[in-house]
Amino acid sequence: MNIMLEAKDINKSFSGVKVLKDVHIEIAKGEVHALMGENGAGKSTLIKILTGAYTKDSGSIFWKGKEVEISSLRDCQNLGMACIYQELSVIPVLTVAQNIYLGREPKIGKTGFIDYKKMNRMTQELIDNYEFPLKPTDMAGDLGIGLRQLIEILKGLSCDAELLIMDEPTASLSGKEAEILFRTIETLRDKGVSILYISHRLEEVYRLSDRLTILRDGVNEAVLIKAEIKPQKVIRFMIGKEVDESNGSVKTLTKNTNETALKVENLTSRGKFNDISFEVKKGEILGFGGLIGAGRTELVRCLYGADKYTSGTIYLYGEKHVPGSTKKSIKKGFGFVPEDRRGEGFIPLLSVNKNIAVTNYDLISKKLMAISSKEELAMCLSSIEKIDIRPPDPDKQVGLLSGGNQQKVVIGKWLMRELKVLIVDEPTAGIDVGAKDEIYGLLQALARSGVVIILVSSDLQELLRLSDRILVMRKGKIVKEFSAGTVTQADILEAASGLMEERL
Amino acid sequence: MKYKINIRKYSKWLILVAFVVVLTILKPKSFLTIGNISNVLWSISVVGLLTSGTIFTLLLGGIDLSVGSLMGLSACTTVLMIQKFGFTNQGLVRGILCALLIGVVAGCFHGIVVTLCNVQAFLVTFATQSVFLGISQVLTNNKIISCLKPDLFTAIGLGRIGPFTFPIYLMTMVALISWYILNKTVFGRYVYAVGGNREAAKNSGINDKMVSILCYVFSGVTASIGGVVLASMTQQGMASTGSGYETDVITAAVIGGVSLLGGEGKIQDAIIGAVLVGLLNNGMNLVGVPSTHQGLLKGMVIVIAVAIDLAGKYESKRKLIEFKKGRKVV
Repeated sequence: MNIMLEAKDINKSFSGVKVLKDVHIEIAKGEVHALMGENGAGKSTLIKILTGAYTKDSGSIFWKGKEVEISSLRDCQNLGMACIYQELSVIPVLTVAQNIYLGREPKIGKTGFIDYKKMNRMTQELIDNYEFPLKPTDMAGDLGIGLRQLIEILKGLSCDAELLIMDEPTASLSGKEAEILFRTIETLRDKGVSILYISHRLEEVYRLSDRLTILRDGVNEAVLIKAEIKPQKVIRFMIGKEVDESNGSVKTLTKNTNETALKVENLTSRGKFNDISFEVKKGEILGFGGLIGAGRTELVRCLYGADKYTSGTIYLYGEKHVPGSTKKSIKKGFGFVPEDRRGEGFIPLLSVNKNIAVTNYDLISKKLMAISSKEELAMCLSSIEKIDIRPPDPDKQVGLLSGGNQQKVVIGKWLMRELKVLIVDEPTAGIDVGAKDEIYGLLQALARSGVVIILVSSDLQELLRLSDRILVMRKGKIVKEFSAGTVTQADILEAASGLMEERL
Repeated sequence: MKYKINIRKYSKWLILVAFVVVLTILKPKSFLTIGNISNVLWSISVVGLLTSGTIFTLLLGGIDLSVGSLMGLSACTTVLMIQKFGFTNQGLVRGILCALLIGVVAGCFHGIVVTLCNVQAFLVTFATQSVFLGISQVLTNNKIISCLKPDLFTAIGLGRIGPFTFPIYLMTMVALISWYILNKTVFGRYVYAVGGNREAAKNSGINDKMVSILCYVFSGVTASIGGVVLASMTQQGMASTGSGYETDVITAAVIGGVSLLGGEGKIQDAIIGAVLVGLLNNGMNLVGVPSTHQGLLKGMVIVIAVAIDLAGKYESKRKLIEFKKGRKVV
């Protein structure tokens, strides 16, 4: 086997926490090598080290057998690696050819004018060579995200890249676009290009990869060759062998027999999710599992009234509820903690005080339209005390707090109201362990007081730890319900990846 | 740390005091007199008045470039109305009501186009700037209409109560109302919330579109009040009477630390910004800078002042935004 890139005994720690321990990975010429692992397994860190974004603590990297130092993206490109990012850097107002040769356009003689004919011809050659469904003169902005991604790939190939690194390339693609990408990847492999493919979607890895490296908690768990890549086996390696209540890899669910609080019937939003029906009992924590793009966030946003849905009915304690606007939902007792905390959760320039009050002005008395600042402050102080926001300074801008405390502010404003349903979408993403536990405690206490909690989480441990019942969504549909008995992380992952359907 | 923040918070007041001290030392006899101070305030009263309304659009992260020509339109309408009713007080009242109505309608239009059609505020108000100017030109046949009566009309811009002219009181009143709305009412909190993070504001149950539209209405109304005052000061109606005022307003706001990215800024600081610009003009006259050099000097002082004041602030805000963009969705 002709090894292109090899990384040996890579170690990396962040502020004393080891995230990679003696990790090893090698990619051969002309193979699709997949890299898998749960959230936090160290995939991104490894890629960032390989592309020069992070420096490794120890270990060595070999390119075609020679030891190399990669300290910037440029080093990485000079060697012949190209990284295809999730967030695309394609410029929409330029053509395919202009995008590919941006900054290194062929010139007419020494005049400095761009030789468009030559540029288009060179692009056409590339396209023909790798059989891409593109034309050099297509305007990038007119193409879908999938085809724009192909431009990125071509850009890499035009610099004679021999190894492409793709980080979750299908995260924002439709099924059809993904199919085009898969075919392209297969063509590239046949032409001798190596591909390092990072994904957490089993079916893609199953289909594409020649070999698979699995990371778990920063350690090499396994390297499987194509014949060994069996979904159940992969899941076992990703999650670990010991199934134990204490580490959150398994949970015994018990049925909640309270009255039904929220009932959803045949909710559909075209292109996002389809025919969703479920019930939630009073005081129940209902977890939604599934892969990114399964339609969970879209569903809860519609429930809350932040987005519109096409058809379906929602009942709140037997009463029909039409979430026309977020204002109306809030009045009915809904609360919402969005997925994108910084972008949608709080107002960074405003103080803790004003962020807490922003949903609750109907509860504060006013004189001549002037808000009683005394009551406003009292509300803030009570929430600071209740949820332990640190530092306990009502005038501190929320943008300056730590991630965990920002999230506490986002949750805290809802605790000041009489809540019936609290929707939390990825409540602890990017939050340190201590604050995580506090937020779990808060949510559980709320549920005990009778509030319905709808939890969307991609963190399986979190999902199992908090949920009383788990619904798994896949491609906009609910595919599995775990309502009683024991359930493990592997069960959820299998359902989310579609393995359950295949076995039926 | 605490000390630093306080200096930043009161930096405009410090600059103001420094200005006054320097000018007092340079021109001890002519600067610090009631007459001169009254003059300075009178010269900025219209800008201050406009800023009190336009600040709402700036706080949203929007802008209103049409205020200058909207002033012209309301000045012309008022004068034409007065003329039509034979220069009577009745004509004046109708004229003012008409001007206010125009301000409300223009503001509604801006707000609706910006929020519901998702057009950038810059483009919309840039376009209406020439629309309003055009209407005024049609109405007045592109002529200057002189208007010296009724007395009540001339009193609006030139009348005195004590040592100060009436527009100074009007500016103070409008600025106080604006301060009250921004700092005391729920609507004011919503303006800062929508300007600071529109998505988060929506998720908090705020009707962001309604808030935006109202902000543009405020801007329109203060522009039309400004138009009436300016017509009275100049005792005439002219289509181009207010042109250039939009620049002065934005200059005052930005010098006062209002962020053009939205969500940040105080009305009192913006008024101080207007006063600083007025003092600069006045100081240059007193010290005897030739008028040919004044524009150059003023522009440079503004650039330097704003650069020093905002360098740190924009940096931190830019970081916030970049952090948001670079955030990796796992």
